[in-house]
Amino acid sequence: MGPGIIEIFKLYYPIFLKGAVGTLKYAAIAVGFGSILGTIIGFIHLSKNPVLKAVASLYSTVIRGTPLLVQMYIGYYFLPLAIPALNALSREHCVVLTMILNSSAYVSEIIRGGIGSVDIGQTEAARSLGMSAGHTMTRIVLPQALKAILPSLGNEYVSMIKETSLAGTFALYELTYTKTLLANKYLIWQPLFIMAIIYLIMTVVLSGLVRLLERRLSAGDRK
Amino acid sequence: MTGNNSEVLIKVVDLHKSFGKLDVLKGVNTEIHRGEVVSLMGPSGGGKSTFLRCLNLLEKPEKGSVFFEGEDITQIKKQKELDKIRQKIGMVFQQFNVFPHLTAMDNITITMTLEKKIPKEQAEKTAMELLEKVGIPDKANEYPGKLSGGQKQRLAIVRAMAMEPDVMLFDEPTSALDPEMVKEVLMVIKQLADSGMTCVIVTHEMGFIKEVSDRILFIDEGTILEEGTPEEIFNNPKSERVKDFLGKVLY
Ligand SMILES: Nc1ncnc2c1ncn2[C@@H]1O[C@H](COP(=O)(O)OP(=O)(O)O)[C@@H](O)[C@H]1O
Ligand SMILES: [Mg+2]
Repeated sequence: MGPGIIEIFKLYYPIFLKGAVGTLKYAAIAVGFGSILGTIIGFIHLSKNPVLKAVASLYSTVIRGTPLLVQMYIGYYFLPLAIPALNALSREHCVVLTMILNSSAYVSEIIRGGIGSVDIGQTEAARSLGMSAGHTMTRIVLPQALKAILPSLGNEYVSMIKETSLAGTFALYELTYTKTLLANKYLIWQPLFIMAIIYLIMTVVLSGLVRLLERRLSAGDRK
Repeated sequence: MTGNNSEVLIKVVDLHKSFGKLDVLKGVNTEIHRGEVVSLMGPSGGGKSTFLRCLNLLEKPEKGSVFFEGEDITQIKKQKELDKIRQKIGMVFQQFNVFPHLTAMDNITITMTLEKKIPKEQAEKTAMELLEKVGIPDKANEYPGKLSGGQKQRLAIVRAMAMEPDVMLFDEPTSALDPEMVKEVLMVIKQLADSGMTCVIVTHEMGFIKEVSDRILFIDEGTILEEGTPEEIFNNPKSERVKDFLGKVLY
């Protein structure tokens, strides 16, 4: 069996912590930029233009309907070939880009759902008063939609923390990659459990924060 | 109150509206004069709401025209122009549709300041006067969640009034209210009607219709089946459908 989990953690904790920070960082990059892109795509999906709508819908369907790992392989091996401009990026950056694109598809659905969750009567009332479409969105609909959107974005971040574990496959330094780093030390099972525990701590804590946020937002919702 | 001989404010010509295969309005023609109080009556699903929503183009009719102050607003292409027209056509909904994330005060002032560029201070002064008029000045800084249904609807009414409309449309303004709150809202509408505001009202409050209306339009299956003064409609309805309807709703 060899040494236990605690000894191994004590011995190699800088490696694990660096991995955990990497995980948090990559997830933040993916969801952060994914949110910007996803918001744009979500609004395109909500637009009246049938062609744009179809494109946005296809984008989100394809990305959400295929595994991230497959997307990462495509991003790693084929994206730079297909789009020469991406040669300026390293292969690792292509993997990060893939995660951003992946997250944007989920975020676009969150945005669409959040805006759809606001009663149509709110828009009708605003427009009947003579409020412009733009102001109706920014002053009436979005502030109410954020109550649904923000917690969902938090949950997307929690999911992405787990999803980034796939990036270790491409030698991105995140938590799961520590397994590879420690493999030459003939450690097989201990790093796995340490990783699992760290993942669990991160997701449980962050999910708790999301729930807190959710409760605060709905407390402000004096319906 | 009776504006029958005065200026035509709204003129509806051959209005058609369908949802998919369902023809909801099948050629509605009428004129509404400035200062007139017109009530719409008729069985559920007959097209009353759709008619009302065509007047401010919340629904876009497929055919026909809506003239507002002489202009065919169905032909307006510029969104900004339509927004300007809508400011002059207030609408009150069954479900109130007050903005839950804004205080009563901000519910009223937000469109005034954003779209009419009225200075905030002046807008708040106007809003306060309106809130006083409908008896809820003490709720100015409350969020709608803290208001009763009747208070919410009164807020919705003054929110529309704040835009200084030329006509107010009411779509079953008391249907979602608890019975004890119906009267306070009807009194506000009555007050408005008495002050000379042009009103188009859909309601099932028959006593109220009788009292405030200059004219009643009976809408059934997408057309105006019959119209007349309250006297004519309630005491001498011509068509069987109207008789039948009144027989059902009048206790
Ligand atoms: N947005 C819509 N989409 C599809 N059908 C609708 C829509 N709005 C109304 N209708 C239909 O149009 C008909 C008339 O509705 P409405 O104007 O609300 O009648 P009323 O207000 O007289 O009860 C009903 O059959 C209703 O189901
Ligand atoms: Mg109706």
